[in-house]
This record gives sequence, structure tokens and C-alpha cells, in this order.
Amino acid sequence: MKLSSNTLRTFTTLHTWVGLVAGFALFVAFYAGAITIFHHELQAWQSPHGVERPVETLDDAQHLLDETLSRHPEARKHVGMVFPGDEYPVTATYWQDAQGQWRFATLDALDGTDEMPGGALSELVNALHYSLGIPVAGAYLMGIVSLLYGLALVSGVIIHLPKLVDDLFALRPGRNLKRLWQDAHNVIGVLSLPMHVMFAVTGALLCLVMVVMFALNPLVYRGQLMQALGPAMDTAPQIAAAGRAQAPGSLAMWQARSIEIARAQGLESFEPAYLKLANAGDANATVEITGESPGALGPLGAVALNANTGALLSTQLPGQRDANHVTLAAAYALHFGEYGNVWVRWLYFLLGLGGAFLFYSGNLLWIESRRKRRQAQQGRAQLWMARATVGVCIGVCVAISVAFVATQWLQSGAMRDAAQLGFGVNLACFVAWGLCALWAALRPPIRAAQELLWLAAIVTTAVPFAHGLATGAWWWTSAAAGHWDLFAIDAGALAIAVGFAWLARVTARRAREGEPNSVWTAVPSTATAPVEAPQT
Amino acid sequence: MWARALAGIVPGFLLSAGLVGLLTWSLPGSWQGTLVPGIVAFFAVWIGVMAASFQFANGKRAWACLSALALATLGALWVLQTLRWIE
Repeated sequence: MKLSSNTLRTFTTLHTWVGLVAGFALFVAFYAGAITIFHHELQAWQSPHGVERPVETLDDAQHLLDETLSRHPEARKHVGMVFPGDEYPVTATYWQDAQGQWRFATLDALDGTDEMPGGALSELVNALHYSLGIPVAGAYLMGIVSLLYGLALVSGVIIHLPKLVDDLFALRPGRNLKRLWQDAHNVIGVLSLPMHVMFAVTGALLCLVMVVMFALNPLVYRGQLMQALGPAMDTAPQIAAAGRAQAPGSLAMWQARSIEIARAQGLESFEPAYLKLANAGDANATVEITGESPGALGPLGAVALNANTGALLSTQLPGQRDANHVTLAAAYALHFGEYGNVWVRWLYFLLGLGGAFLFYSGNLLWIESRRKRRQAQQGRAQLWMARATVGVCIGVCVAISVAFVATQWLQSGAMRDAAQLGFGVNLACFVAWGLCALWAALRPPIRAAQELLWLAAIVTTAVPFAHGLATGAWWWTSAAAGHWDLFAIDAGALAIAVGFAWLARVTARRAREGEPNSVWTAVPSTATAPVEAPQT
Repeated sequence: MWARALAGIVPGFLLSAGLVGLLTWSLPGSWQGTLVPGIVAFFAVWIGVMAASFQFANGKRAWACLSALALATLGALWVLQTLRWIE
């Protein structure tokens, strides 16, 4: 395919600039997102008694629901809860109070808290993933970043289209290091393209859906979007309260009924994961039970019942869903990797790390392609780009590992209170990140890159040790006891630490043996020092 | 670059809304039935329109062309909706 040189130039410029603008945020989103794939495993890993604590039963959950409804009248209007099970060892209820603030209750905190149960660390990593940890505005920012990322993908494909097939598997090692990086950038970008397209679209969707719907409502939907939204996204029909009291059914009854109904629709398994109960205690109370049916793309389906009698109201189960629910379930499942078995999630993890490499290598290519070959002193822009890349990208890897260690260390000490622990873990993470960025700003980039990579390797190695010291769950005892989720996180941390050490060594070799006159070289003089006469 | 980028963002948004609206309202069944697929598709269409807007020779043409197309698609959608030819 032949493109005019003008087109190529336009899209190369576009690709470069959207890549630079969005690249840092995308690096953080992909690195933290790769870890967030193991969100539930992380919740078990960070909980000090996660292993010994008995899995809560349906009776415990029933007790929690009864207490929530009697203690918090606002919850009777609308309450959600997770079923106890493999996925969520600790059951919780959640509702909005009179001010619209989300409240949460667990068996340990029946009076309710403002903190989402599940733990500070997994919430922090998740927040870094979808908002860089910035409250409110961060999610919108990431929505815009997702759109830029979509543009980077389109322009990237267009500029590589003419040589796509020839270059696809070309990985040319040798003297020309820049070409090797370019090849690696291209091959990872093209091979994981379907994945990246999906993330760009679903990422923009998850972050910007409210804003866009607000704009589309008058343009396309004649102002009727908001009324149509409930039926399009929920399963239970919205039925007004009758004003007559009636005792609600039990969790056990809802669970049994939903499984029975799913079976009758030909689904072999249906494991209730969470429910939404509306107008509890009223004659018109409804309950929507969402559960997982493995083997479907978009495995989550839902059954809506009359909460008092268990009479079937409607279903949206895999195989028998309308277009709205199919799309919604597929978009969620594709974004979060929640389909298929555990291999799909490992694939997502690797593709997430691969995506992080894509953005890191993009920045490096920008610096290298602007290098002045005959000049020891490189431009300020290249130098600061190198510093920012090292400080933000390697810095966030250090900071996330620091948060892992801090979680274990803080909760083994005095900070058992959830809010205090959350504050401490967040503080540790962002202070570490800031210090890394500062270090990168003060040191020559090549030195900072090596030092921060070694630091990342050391702190990440400390992750399984902190876990073992704080909880007694060493990776070998976890493996022996069959707690593979705990083992996988400890072993994964060690593997990533080895990766950081390897990168540090490769970077050191680049500094020694690579082409001179680069921000990445230690020979002859680095760009921070005034140019000295070459010594002969 | 900037004028064309803004053309992709502002009239491009309206054009994408018009295109997705025409498609989802013209499909069989009620418009409510294609609500979620339409909103998901909107993001993909908008990214495509933004990328395409860089193909215009200059910003002025991009603004003129995309605005005209946006007006045409949204106008057609409005007429068809008002006449109840699509619902």
C-alpha cells in the first residue's frame, strides 16, 4: 500500500505528539493495570489474616444484610452486597446515604464506614490505573488520555502500513540500537493491536461515559436517554414501592432460585457474585442477582426476582441477553480480562507489561531520533525528556513496590485502622514516586536510570520478604498449603525484580559501549557537565 | 495541525454523534435496544473521525467540511425522528 509522503508526515507528527502527551499516563495505567488484573488475589495477599480467616458463610452474609437494613434506613431503598465465596472472602454491603455518599458495612464494621473494604493496597494500585491516583479529575484525564491513545494507534498503523508485513517480524539486533528499539516497538504494537484498540475504546468508555451521554442526550436521543438508561443497563424492572410492608426472602432462597432459573435456561453453572436489593421490606421489593457463568464471553449475567416471593421478573443471562447487556458484559469482561481461565489473566498481565514497554520505548525513540550525532551536548528537550521518562516510568515501578512493602510493614505495626493504613500506604507510594522523579531530575539520565532500576529491583525483591516477615506466609509455605494466589504474587514480584536487575545491567552496558553523544551514554562527558575537550 | 485537531474534536464530535445516531436508530427494533452498543461505537467512530480530520489540506477546510457533514447527519437524524420514520 502506497501513501503520499504528505500523509505519512502528518501521521508521523500526530503519532509522535499524542504518544508523548499520553505516553507517561499510559505507562502508569498499563503497569498498574497489569497488577490490577490480580485485584482479588492482592486483596488476600494484603490482608494479614487472609489465610487463616475462615471463609464467611451465607449465614454470616444474611446476618450482615439484616443488620444493615435495620441499622441504616437509607439502605432499604437500595442496597448492594457481595456473596461470600472464592472471589470475595469477606462479604460486604454498600448503599448511598442521604447525601449520596457511598457507605460500606462488613461483619467487623456493622455501623458502616466510608472506606471500601478490601484493602488499601489493591485500591491504591487500582486508583493509579484509572486515575493516576488523582481524585475526581483523574478519571476524566485518563478518558482523554484513552482518546489520544486511540489516535496514536490509528496513526501508528497508518505510518507502518506500507511496510507492515516486511517489518513485522524484523528484529534487527546489531550496532544500530535505535533500529532494534524501533523494531521492538513496532512488533509489540502491531501484535497486540487488537488488545490496544479494545483498551482505548473501553478505557475512554469507562472514564467518559457520563460526560458523553450528557452531550449525546439532546443530539441523538431527544432528551430521553436518562429514562432509557435504567432498563438498558439493569436487569430488574424499576417498580415503585407499594407502601405495604412484607418480609423479604432470604439470601439462601435468592441464591437457590437464581441457580434454578439459570439451569432452566440451559446454563450449566451460575455462581451468584453480588446482588442489588431495592425497596427492602416493601411488598414490591425486587432483587437482582448477578452471577458468573464460566465459558461465556461476558460471563456475568443477572436474574431479577420479586425479593419476597422469589417470583421471576426478568433475566439477562449469557446466550439470552439483549444487545445492550451483551455489549455491556463483553466490554467489561474484555477490559478486565474476566473471561476464560487463569491463562487469560496471565496473558493480560504480560500484555500490560508489554504495553508499558511500548510507551517507554516510544519516548526513547523520540530522544534518539533527535540526537545530534556529532555533538556531545544534547538539546535541553531531549535531556529533560530522558529525565522525565526515567523519573516517571521507573519511578512508578519503584513506588508501587514501596507501597507493597509499606502495606505489610505498616499493618504489622500499629496501623490496623483501615483509614490510617490507607493514608500511610498512599503517602509511602507518592513520596517514593516524587523522590524518584527528583532524583532523576538531579542526576545525569543514564546514572539515574541505572540507580532507579537497581532500586526497583531491591524494593521489589523486598516484597515477598515483607509479606513473609509480617504474616508468616512465606512463598514456600503458601505453595505447600495450596494458597497459589499468595504464592503467585510473591513469585511474580521476584520475577519482576530479576527483570529490573537485568534492565539495569543492560542499561549499564549501553552507557559503556553504546554510541557516544547520547543522553544515555557515560562516555565521554554527559550532557549535564560542560563539554570538555576529548582526551586522547 | 491545531486547527485540524480542533475540527476533529468539535465538529467531529457532532458528526460522530450524527453517524452513530443514524445507524442505531435505523437498526430494527427500538432505539433503546441499541443504546449501549451505540455509545461504545461512538468512541471508536469519534477516534476515527479525529484521525481522518488530519487528512484535510488545512484547518479551514476541515472545519467547513466536518461542520457541513455534522449538520447534514444531525439534520437528517432530526427529520427522520420527527417524521417518525425511525424510532
